[in-house]
Amino acid sequence: MPDLATLLEILIIVVKVSVISGILFSLPLPLTWIERKVAGHIQVRLGPWRVGPHGVLQPFADMVKLLIKEDIVPERADKFLFKLAPLLSMIPAFLVFVAIPFGEKFAIPFVGKEITLYLSDMNVGILYILAIGGLGIYGMILGGWASNSKYSLLGGLRSSAQMISYEVSMSFAAIGVVMLTNSLNLLEMVRSQSGSFLDWNIFYLPVGPVWFVIFIIAALAEINRIPFDLPEDEGTLAAGFHTEYSGMRFSFFMLAEYVAMVTVSVLTVIMFFGGWNPPLDISIFHLVPPIFWFLGKVILFIYFFMWLRFTLPRYRYDQLMTIGWKVLIPLSLVNILVTGLMII
Amino acid sequence: MEKLFFLMFAAVAIASGLAVVTARNPVHSALALIVCLIQVAALFVLLRSPFLAAVQIFIYVGAVMVLFLFVVLILDMRKAVLQAFPPVKKRFVVGVILVLMAQILAFVFVTPMGLSPAGGWEPTVESIGRMLFTKYLFPFEVVSVILLAALVAAIVIAKERR
Amino acid sequence: MSKGPSRIAEFIKKALFLDFVKGLSITLKYNVSRSITLKYPDEEKWVPDRRFRGQHTLNKDENGRELCVACELCVKVCPTKCITVIPMEDDTGRGIADRVAKVWKVELARCMFCGYCEDACPTRAVRLGRDYELACLDLSCTTREKDELLKPQSIPDTIQGGFVVRSSFERTPEGIRVVPDLRMQKKRNI
Repeated sequence: MPDLATLLEILIIVVKVSVISGILFSLPLPLTWIERKVAGHIQVRLGPWRVGPHGVLQPFADMVKLLIKEDIVPERADKFLFKLAPLLSMIPAFLVFVAIPFGEKFAIPFVGKEITLYLSDMNVGILYILAIGGLGIYGMILGGWASNSKYSLLGGLRSSAQMISYEVSMSFAAIGVVMLTNSLNLLEMVRSQSGSFLDWNIFYLPVGPVWFVIFIIAALAEINRIPFDLPEDEGTLAAGFHTEYSGMRFSFFMLAEYVAMVTVSVLTVIMFFGGWNPPLDISIFHLVPPIFWFLGKVILFIYFFMWLRFTLPRYRYDQLMTIGWKVLIPLSLVNILVTGLMII
Repeated sequence: MEKLFFLMFAAVAIASGLAVVTARNPVHSALALIVCLIQVAALFVLLRSPFLAAVQIFIYVGAVMVLFLFVVLILDMRKAVLQAFPPVKKRFVVGVILVLMAQILAFVFVTPMGLSPAGGWEPTVESIGRMLFTKYLFPFEVVSVILLAALVAAIVIAKERR
Repeated sequence: MSKGPSRIAEFIKKALFLDFVKGLSITLKYNVSRSITLKYPDEEKWVPDRRFRGQHTLNKDENGRELCVACELCVKVCPTKCITVIPMEDDTGRGIADRVAKVWKVELARCMFCGYCEDACPTRAVRLGRDYELACLDLSCTTREKDELLKPQSIPDTIQGGFVVRSSFERTPEGIRVVPDLRMQKKRNI
């Protein structure tokens, strides 16, 4: 019989897991609304307007629609894989959050118990995130193949080739940050960037900004967002790998995509923008709880990705490969050398 | 508790390994292989070696299997499914499998192995790095030269003939 | 100009993502600028200029007599043959002449609002007005009869038009209406 303290620990972990999954599951609701609003205003429109004030209830209406929509499985599809693929794409996206820290510690008022703002303090955190985050690709490949449709198959093929090309440079960028901070642990990474904004990795001149650019480009390709959304290129492939999906199964893919976007924003903030450290080391900034700094930076990055989406056109497939293999990888190899020299 | 997890992961790994061989559809085989590799990664975690587990998933599941699937997707499935594999006599196959199994069992019983790693040595990233660059420097360098040769060869093969 | 420096400039431009920054700054500018979407039908409504060609209207002179003399020129000139006019004799002073229209109807489903009937009309009786909310639920309501056309339209002729007004969206048993509030007028660029 385990004692009370162990039970309490288990309870805390269960609560943390359910809070995080709850947040992640409901994340697409605000994010789709924000994305459509940003799209609207960039195109000098209003975006959603009529369902609720400023259209805030639009995502709920969409959700109801997706829930009651007919679930179509193509007749000649590989039924088992077709049904499995959305889950394969969604579960890794959620698993990544096991290793992501949102802050150091937080004391619950009145009880005096301190809880940590992360699920697991892994000492191979960044490696785990890159490894698990990369698994989401199987949902796309297998979903594309199982649909038995030419558009889906091409989408799946494109995503696998794109993934292999960009995972290399993304890992190189992670290696660069690991070299700068001397740790694979995300908590250590943030701690090493404490102080003013000049201590952040992005201002580690001259290599910091280069790592940042490499990481952000590779991450954009990894999460299939414009300008690298070739697997679901609606101009040439209908909807790419999820052409044949409808209703809830489609929304699983969408959920995975939004969670991946948040993951990349969080990673960027942790790796390059000092995590939950305030931008200046002055007492006023320390009055704000660190989690708000963290969330603020993450939201800025989410906005940045949306902003990019409605600014840039989509790259051609050969351009995508050229950028990945002929620009990013040589650049990151050179940058590793420079970083190594700087550290010595 | 740990034994229970070990048995669970090992059972799934063996079952999925069998599925790799028995599945008629190459994509299903690939999926089973992915499951198998993930189970092996879980076994690495049980062996207190999270770094190896992450690397296992990162390289085998994340990259090698994606390439596998990429090739499998281009295959003409209808022909591939009909072909018997391997294209040799069954007796020969069984013989090879038995020899390999005997080898593995001999290895298991001869070398002293336990569920947890040898005491005193913590397989962290730092210690693995230190080992690679001190004790195992020569094999490490040999491996990198071989890999480089393979890389060059791949480029030469892939390059267009003038 | 030699090729060397320009290529270096090109490289620097690429390395610093100058083109991206330019594009992003343009979209950011639009993101914070006012949207041009009209909040029709909820809050705003467009009042057309006088030259607008909407639903037909039949005019009367200052004494309240019908201007239409049922000459049927509009019927002749109409390219889609959507106007039907049947003349009759009437010397009670209902029209400006002894000949008035017994039937004057237009099928809006066929009309293409070209305005030829306006041009052909010798007495300026028929005009294309400013009502443009013509959608309805069945075909019968697409035919407009004379009595209906003789009523003044929702926007009086004295208002210049060409601006946006606040409006209210009303649901009535007969259908939905967008009622403009003509007192508050604001110019807006479109």
